[in-house]
Amino acid sequence: MTGRGSPSRFLAAVLHNGVGRYVRQLQRLQLLFSPTAADARGARQFVEETALDFARRHPDVVLYVSARSDGAPRLLAEYLNGTVREVLVTSKTSEEIAQLATKLAGQSGLDIVRIRKPFHTANPSVQGQWHPLTNKPSALTVQGPRLQPQ
Amino acid sequence: MAPPLRPAGTSASGAGVGVTAMAVVTAVGARRRAAAFLLSSAVRHQSSQSTSLQEGLVAKTSLTSPPWPKVKLPDPVEEAKYHAEVVQKVNKMIAMGQYGRLFAVVHFASKQWKITSEDLIMMDNALEAECGDRIRMEKVLLVGADDFTLIGRPLLGKDLVRVEATVIEKTESWPKINMRFWKRHNYQRKRIIVNPQTVLRINTIEIFPCLS
Repeated sequence: MTGRGSPSRFLAAVLHNGVGRYVRQLQRLQLLFSPTAADARGARQFVEETALDFARRHPDVVLYVSARSDGAPRLLAEYLNGTVREVLVTSKTSEEIAQLATKLAGQSGLDIVRIRKPFHTANPSVQGQWHPLTNKPSALTVQGPRLQPQ
Repeated sequence: MAPPLRPAGTSASGAGVGVTAMAVVTAVGARRRAAAFLLSSAVRHQSSQSTSLQEGLVAKTSLTSPPWPKVKLPDPVEEAKYHAEVVQKVNKMIAMGQYGRLFAVVHFASKQWKITSEDLIMMDNALEAECGDRIRMEKVLLVGADDFTLIGRPLLGKDLVRVEATVIEKTESWPKINMRFWKRHNYQRKRIIVNPQTVLRINTIEIFPCLS
């Protein structure tokens, strides 16, 4: 759909993240896969090879690995604002799953919809907002044919 | 415009036998107009001579001076003194810290942004920094406070301003649909475009008193 027909939001950060300390918004990542299914091969390889590296590189994200899923292999990302994002990793290679995990770790839990403006500020004006009488001489200083300065 | 001067005799002879009457009439008209032209040129000559001798006698019309007001430029020595004074005042204000919130115009990601501290910026491409990294924006065009503004030509020095930002989020944009459809031609193409996006939080804008 077009931007007008689909939901949109303004650019925002969760709880003024970054003003003081930066806090990673991804809370936990669950990898659910089956130990025997063919489409979970990439997930199994990821767990064997790359999962530890990923966990060490992102110490503030808790990684849960669960090998008893009945359905398709998926990656469940839970964020600090409560959003849960589920991504299917069926028939994906280990590198692709690692890239996906890094992408999820960089996101905040806000909706992925059209962002109306690429900026957001709480202080739009520092020197005072312009109005038509800014920088115009007042009647106290104007000298005209009939009007003398007071 | 008066026709070119022709002596009456030549015009009558040049026209030919059949149009003698018309030629005579034209000749007479030409003579009259020639005489008037000579008289008017003499008058104009006289009037221009008189103006050059005594100025101030020309009437003031709407075209004597341009319609914009005449600007009187200040004396360059005085102007230089005034500039030095202003620069010293601003430097003192910066050194004493007599300013509140600062805003800056920064050239970043091929766009210019007007930023203050604690505000968010989003660029439509990926940055090589990781989430949580602190970045310094070097191309600063303008810095302003409530009482003074520093304008760069076109950039301000790196020892004068320091703008720092943190990378907060590295996501992808919403899936944009690029569809082409031609009716009655059985032609349609659909493509989903997803751009990487980076969100930055501007942490601080600092200025240092090194104006000269």
